[in-house]
Amino acid sequence: MAQTLEKTLQIAGIGIIGVFVFMTLFYLLILAIDKIFPYKEEANAKENSVKESTQNKTQT
Amino acid sequence: MGLEQLLPAIATMTWQDLVMIAIGLILIYLAIAKNYEPTLLLPIGFGAILVNIPFSSAITQIDPATGQAVEGVLNTFFNAGIITEIFPLLIFIAIGAMIDFSPLFRNPSLLLFGAAAQFGIFMTMIFASLLGFDLREAASIGIIGAADGPTSIVVASRFAPNLLGPISVAAYSYMALVPIIQPPVIRLLTTKKERLIRMSTADNYNKKISKKALIAFPIVVTIVAGIIAPSSLALIGFLMFGNLIRECGVLNKLSLAAQNELASLVTLLLGITIASTMTADRFIRVDTLIIIALGLFAFVFDTFGGVIFAKFMNLFRKEGNKINPMIGACGISAFPMSARVIHQMGQKEDPFNYLLMPAISANVGGQIGSVVAGGIILTLVPLFA
Repeated sequence: MAQTLEKTLQIAGIGIIGVFVFMTLFYLLILAIDKIFPYKEEANAKENSVKESTQNKTQT
Repeated sequence: MGLEQLLPAIATMTWQDLVMIAIGLILIYLAIAKNYEPTLLLPIGFGAILVNIPFSSAITQIDPATGQAVEGVLNTFFNAGIITEIFPLLIFIAIGAMIDFSPLFRNPSLLLFGAAAQFGIFMTMIFASLLGFDLREAASIGIIGAADGPTSIVVASRFAPNLLGPISVAAYSYMALVPIIQPPVIRLLTTKKERLIRMSTADNYNKKISKKALIAFPIVVTIVAGIIAPSSLALIGFLMFGNLIRECGVLNKLSLAAQNELASLVTLLLGITIASTMTADRFIRVDTLIIIALGLFAFVFDTFGGVIFAKFMNLFRKEGNKINPMIGACGISAFPMSARVIHQMGQKEDPFNYLLMPAISANVGGQIGSVVAGGIILTLVPLFA
C-alpha cells in the first residue's frame, strides 16, 4: 500500500501541475488567437453580406 | 411442476437482487420527481432493474440446457460502446457542439479556475489509495471529481471496468446535487465581505469575438494538446471536433444533429448500458459505499480548490479588481448548474450583484479542465502502474 500511495502522490503532484500548465497554455493561446483574429465590425458586415448573397443564390 | 420450473425468477431471487431493484426504483424516482440528471439516472435506474431480475435475457446468461453463454443485448452494447469508448467519445462530440467558448475569450484569466477546481480529483485519488484501492482503481475513483460523466466513464472503463457502475452513479448523482453540495462549502471558506465582491467588468462581457478566433481555438487546442500529451487526444480532440462543427458556420445541420439527436441517442444507450454493470454481485459491496462517499469528498475538494485559488489570486489583485471567491467554485465541469448556483448565492447576499457572466466563464473553463485532467490521468497512470 505504501508503494501505491507513493505513486499516487507522485501522480497527484504531476497531475495538478500538469492541469495548470495546460490551462495556462490555453489561456495564452486565447490571448494570441484574440490578437491575431480581432473582431472587426467591417469584416463581420462583409462576412454577413457574403452569407446573404450565398443564401439568395441557394434560394434561386 | 414446482415454483422453480414455473417462475424461476421468483424462486431464485435473492435479497441482493431486491436491494438492486430498490436502488433502480430510487434512481428513477430521483430522476422523475427531483429532476436529478434524468437523462442519465432514469436509464441507469431502469437498467438496474432490468439486469437484476434473475435469468434476465438483457444480460449474458448460461443456458442450462447447453451450458453455453448466451450474450445479452446490454453486454453487447457494453462491449461495443463502453469498452471501445465509442459512446463517451460520441457524447464528447455532442458536448463540444453545445459549448460556446466566447465567454472564455471575454475573460480568459478565469480559465485557470478550471484547473484549480480539479483539485478534488487528485485529493480523492490519494484517499482512495490510502483506503486500499490499487493505483488504477484510485485514479478511476478520483476522476469522479471531474464532475464530468463521460470523462469518468472513459477513465473507469479503461482502468477499473469492475467499478464502472458505482463510479458512474456517483458522478452523475453528485453533478445533480451541486446546488446542495457547493453552497455550504463556499460559505465555510469565505467571509460575507468576500461574497459581496462585485465583478462589474461590463466592458469585458460586451466584447465581441471574431468568428475566425472561435474557429481557430478548437483546432489550435487540439494540435497543442496532441503534441504535449497524445494520450489525451481522444478526449480533447473529440470535444474540440464537436466545437469546430458548431463554430465553422457551414455545418449547421450537423451541429444541430450533434447537439440534439446524437446527444439524445448516445445518452440513452450510455445510461442503460452502464446499468449492465450494476448487478447485485458487483454492486452490493462495501467498496460501492466507499466509492459513493469518496465521490462526495471529490466534489467538496473541487469546490475547496477553486475557492482557495480565487482567494490566493486576490492577494495579488488591487482593491476594486478582486475576484469574488465564489467564482472559483464554478471551475468544475457541471455546466451551467454550478454557474447558476453561484449567481444565485451572489444575489442572495446582494440582489444587485450579477455574477452570472464571470461564473459562466469559469464554468466553461471547468469543462475544458475536466477533460484535460482526464487526459493527464490517462497519460500518467500507465507510466506508474
